[in-house]
Amino acid sequence: MATVAPTPARVASPGFISRLEAWPTVTSFIVLVGGWELIGRSLNQPFFPPLSSVLNELAINQAEIMAALGTSLTNLVLGFIVSVVFGVGLGLLMGAFRKLDAALDIYINALLTAPSLVFAPIFFAIWGLERWSIVAVIFMYSTWIMVVNTVTAVRTVSPEMLEMGRAFNAPRIKTWTRIVLPAATPLIMAGIRLATGRAVKGMLNGEMFIAIVGLGKLVKDGSGRFDASLVLAILVVIIVVAFIALWVVGWVDARLTRWLPKTSR
Amino acid sequence: MIEIKGVSKAFPGRKGSEPVQALKDVDLIVRDNEFLTVLGPSGCGKTTLLRVIAGLVPHDTGTVLVDGKPVTGPGPERAMVFQSFALMPWDNVLTNVAFGLEMQGVDKKTRELKALELIEMVGLGGFEKRLPGELSGGMQQRVGLARALAVSPKVLLMDEPFGALDEQTRRLLQEELLRIWEATRTTVVFITHSMEEAVLLGDRVVLMRPRPGRIDQILDIPMTRPRSTHLDSVESSGEFTAMVGLLWNNLRAMHSDVRRARQAGQAAATKP
Amino acid sequence: MSLVRRVLDSSALYRLIALAIFATIWQLATLSHKSMLIPTFTDTMAAIPKLLIPGYSGDESAKLWDALYQSNGALLIGFAISVALGVPFGLLIGRFRTIERFANLYISILLVTPMAAVIPLLVMSLGVRDGAMPTRVILIVLFAIVMLIVNSRAGIRQIDPSLIEMARCFGAGELSIWRRILLPGSLPAIMTGVRLGLGRAITGMVIIELLFIAVGLGNLIQKYDAQLDGARLYALIIIVVFEALVLIQAVRWLERRVTPWRKTTSFGR
Ligand SMILES: Nc1ncnc2c1ncn2[C@@H]1O[C@H](COP(=O)(O)OP(=O)(O)OP(=O)(O)O)[C@@H](O)[C@H]1O
Ligand SMILES: [Mg+2]
Repeated sequence: MATVAPTPARVASPGFISRLEAWPTVTSFIVLVGGWELIGRSLNQPFFPPLSSVLNELAINQAEIMAALGTSLTNLVLGFIVSVVFGVGLGLLMGAFRKLDAALDIYINALLTAPSLVFAPIFFAIWGLERWSIVAVIFMYSTWIMVVNTVTAVRTVSPEMLEMGRAFNAPRIKTWTRIVLPAATPLIMAGIRLATGRAVKGMLNGEMFIAIVGLGKLVKDGSGRFDASLVLAILVVIIVVAFIALWVVGWVDARLTRWLPKTSR
Repeated sequence: MIEIKGVSKAFPGRKGSEPVQALKDVDLIVRDNEFLTVLGPSGCGKTTLLRVIAGLVPHDTGTVLVDGKPVTGPGPERAMVFQSFALMPWDNVLTNVAFGLEMQGVDKKTRELKALELIEMVGLGGFEKRLPGELSGGMQQRVGLARALAVSPKVLLMDEPFGALDEQTRRLLQEELLRIWEATRTTVVFITHSMEEAVLLGDRVVLMRPRPGRIDQILDIPMTRPRSTHLDSVESSGEFTAMVGLLWNNLRAMHSDVRRARQAGQAAATKP
Repeated sequence: MSLVRRVLDSSALYRLIALAIFATIWQLATLSHKSMLIPTFTDTMAAIPKLLIPGYSGDESAKLWDALYQSNGALLIGFAISVALGVPFGLLIGRFRTIERFANLYISILLVTPMAAVIPLLVMSLGVRDGAMPTRVILIVLFAIVMLIVNSRAGIRQIDPSLIEMARCFGAGELSIWRRILLPGSLPAIMTGVRLGLGRAITGMVIIELLFIAVGLGNLIQKYDAQLDGARLYALIIIVVFEALVLIQAVRWLERRVTPWRKTTSFGR
């Protein structure tokens, strides 16, 4: 009925960490490392240095990178926490109150599909170069997907389950805590997983574009000096950060949704 | 005629556990023009047996001959009806029914004519342009049946075809199937969970037992044909009741064997 | 009575109310805290026709349409390439697990890599001359392709295996299975991928122009930003968001057209 019904983002859910199988992944990793080194050496171009010189760069700038990483991670964690609280919270409210959902769904979808970075000037105008500008960018990147997934999660709780609750005279609060929330958890977690990747991107983009700090600053510096080794070194760090963040979220997800049959993961 | 001799089939178990012996030394002859029903507890290898006959899974040992020719893969002389209907949701009834002929390379006009004929036969005339999603479960399985019959198979393989239907719809389809079968006399291998269905439809019942999956016994069903015209009186006959009772006694014994084996296994596992 | 009911039940009413509340807050906040960079709601709305309608306010709209043309050119080509490469690859790894096992690591990396960090390298290697069309196209592909791969793969995976079994049973070969089962069966998911990929491509387009290659819409945003012309800046942002929404609605429409067998979603009863 609703023409802009938010799409549950399950299809593209990058639950890939759990999908990585040991041996093929190790093989792919070796091919990646070896290929990078070989192509980098034989190409001999400033814009694609071999892996060894990237790692070397990483070692040289270790202190600076660690400091920047600290700044970036603080931004990331702050922004992500705000997003999860707000995103899941709003999603639950919209799931509970149809009229609120009707009022907001197209705007949430607009925010989800719009390039989040175009809102950067707004944050800059409000917070200037402060940390909150970056937190706001992270928020814009990661919140809306959680809202959409949470609404869908609540709406797709099976009617039979709700009926069962009613049959046992469960009060509304209990219906929510004992039936709706547990049943909605898998899809909510799928939203949080998607949001994790987006948050990391928001962090970097915010740091590169608004307040020049953290890893974003290093990337910007590196590219300003045409120092591809430094840029790639930071990129490697960011990918590792993203993988760890996703692994943590996946771990929490697995704990919370133990009851799911294996095949539906 | 289908001749199955010494057929075994094992599936690799999950990591760390033993392989599952789904079929072990199965011997069975399905006669021409026979309606054979297969009954047994869940997991006793009924589906596996049917898939082996269909040529969908290779068997480990033994031989499967259909009219003297060994089965190496699916063939046009065998057609299958699926429990989940397996209709293509994007194609209308006509295209779904014509699918088997399409795969055989029959030209569009001929296959659609044939498909229309079968749609009529299963009582779906007028619905040929509908999509499966717009049909009830019973109607969907009629499409599945028409699709199988459209290729004029020598053997019809049916895996719990009415298992997903409600009682009344199932009853109508049983009647329909018997009526069609009495007219065509295609060889049928029909898997079911229902003792009543096995007796009502079959000439013989194959009773299977689990772990490893094998044939327990084969029973002749005494009731005469044709039955489609008076299913109710068939069901209230003494022969029918006695037959169902006999099957249930056998199955109950099997179930308690299974339970005893499980308890023994548990006891062994808890011992230090 | 029933008319009242229908009005009260319609989403449009609540959407309008939400919009009105938002606009009021915006207007009041900007009126009470005057700021160079944040215009009032009414000023922003007034700026939209100036930017959009030719001849309404000098040659301003010409600039916008030029920018739209420039940006969307790269978007169109980049997105077409993404679909042409991403969909077949996704379908292939969905069907053949062995390839997938080896590709998974690379797909994972592609999924989490912030493209903004890759852009400088590509700009370095490919250059930014002549509006940098090839550079922009490649970047848009990098942004969008992973969505198409991942969704096409999911499309193949969620096909009912009994359909494939059925086809094999009736003598279908691999080619027929692709044509009659796998392609139609994965079409809905492919279209989801097209929609999500388009969103990413638009994001990519804006980021590239905003951060690295000052052309098209991004360039215009930067210019209004630098001129402290808040009303035009926000009008432009609204136009960009609106374009994204229109394109995505178009894909949704196409999605419904090409997959008519899909049950209409019961969402939002
Ligand atoms: N593809 C497979 N891989 C692994 N094990 C399988 C596979 N197919 C069947 N099995 C196992 O083989 C045994 C027999 O399965 P089968 O499906 O033939 O039983 P069934 O009699 O049809 O059961 P049901 O009545 O529940 O349909 C079961 O233990 C099952 O777990
Ligand atoms: Mg079975």
